[in-house]
Amino acid sequence: MAEREKFYLTKKGLEEFKKEYETLKGLRIAKTKGEVPKIWESEDLNPEYLSFQEDLTFLETRIVGLENILKNACLIERPSKKKSNVISLGATVRVKVGEEKDEFTIVGTLEAKPSLGKISNESPVGMALLGHKVGDEVLISSPIKTIYKINKIKYN
Amino acid sequence: MKDFVDFFHEIGKLKGNPRRGWVINSIKNPESIAEHTFRAAIMAWVLSKKKKNFNIEKVLKIALIHDLCEVYAGDTTPYDSVLPRTKKKRAEMMKTWPRFSNSEKKRMAREKYNKEKKALEKLISKLPADLKKEIKNLWLDYEGGLTVEGRFFRQMDRLEDFLQSMEYWRKYKKPPQGPWWLWAREHFDDPILLEIIREMDNKFHKHKKPRI
Repeated sequence: MAEREKFYLTKKGLEEFKKEYETLKGLRIAKTKGEVPKIWESEDLNPEYLSFQEDLTFLETRIVGLENILKNACLIERPSKKKSNVISLGATVRVKVGEEKDEFTIVGTLEAKPSLGKISNESPVGMALLGHKVGDEVLISSPIKTIYKINKIKYN
Repeated sequence: MKDFVDFFHEIGKLKGNPRRGWVINSIKNPESIAEHTFRAAIMAWVLSKKKKNFNIEKVLKIALIHDLCEVYAGDTTPYDSVLPRTKKKRAEMMKTWPRFSNSEKKRMAREKYNKEKKALEKLISKLPADLKKEIKNLWLDYEGGLTVEGRFFRQMDRLEDFLQSMEYWRKYKKPPQGPWWLWAREHFDDPILLEIIREMDNKFHKHKKPRI
């Protein structure tokens, strides 16, 4: 994984990466000992981990990637009460776009999954929304101008 | 060798499978899934050169396999669950980007993932173990954005779609470009790809700006 200065992560995101890292490290130890780890019987196991069971190179690559993420992780702190009416990283925002309503959380690039409602703070919409408050209308310029009206801001 | 020939024959079906997004927009002779893969792979190769510490071989392999599951799973679009039956209503719907609640987004993503994973496993089931493992892991990387290469190609894949939409728009005045721009400004965050989008805008919308 390419080096990067900082990875902004939500508390939940950071916990998930840590959990995955610990799990995969456990798998690596078990694999090098030739054991069949008990974790394969766990119902909590992410089905994607099954691929790691068969492929040590894939497992190693992911572990190195996770180490880099955790080393450079920067936790997104919940803002003070005074600033919680302003959109910053980690905010979940309800917006009206044209006639449609939508809701998304502004996250760092690693956690961004726009199809699941998590948009990157480095995307044009993510960047434009930062710093705005409820009631603001944010104009996103492109060949077609679009206004995002901010209806609600919350922090989990 | 028989299993290889069977595999090659199966993936060859992607050459004749039109991409659903263009079909529902009533585009004449829409590109196939294989045609999309071809250009997405070239774009990924060329633009990867601008990245530091990047595994270009991995990106290219991800590009080549990312849509193989569609041999059995078929192509899907975000409009599928809300698509009206009549052409007129469909055309109207294409002017907006479909928005869903977060729980609907999660459900749709999970269903798509499970369907495609099952389809890929079926497609590669007869391949030798090492190859099967490699293809599956590359696909998981693409789907989950596990590495910088997987995450880059995920956006690259959509950039090829976006470019194709602009080319069709110039030729047929459809699909409507508004929803594409809305989607793009929420989805892309890679600085190189954002720069390419600005150039695409200059090339395709310089003389005539889309109104919808």
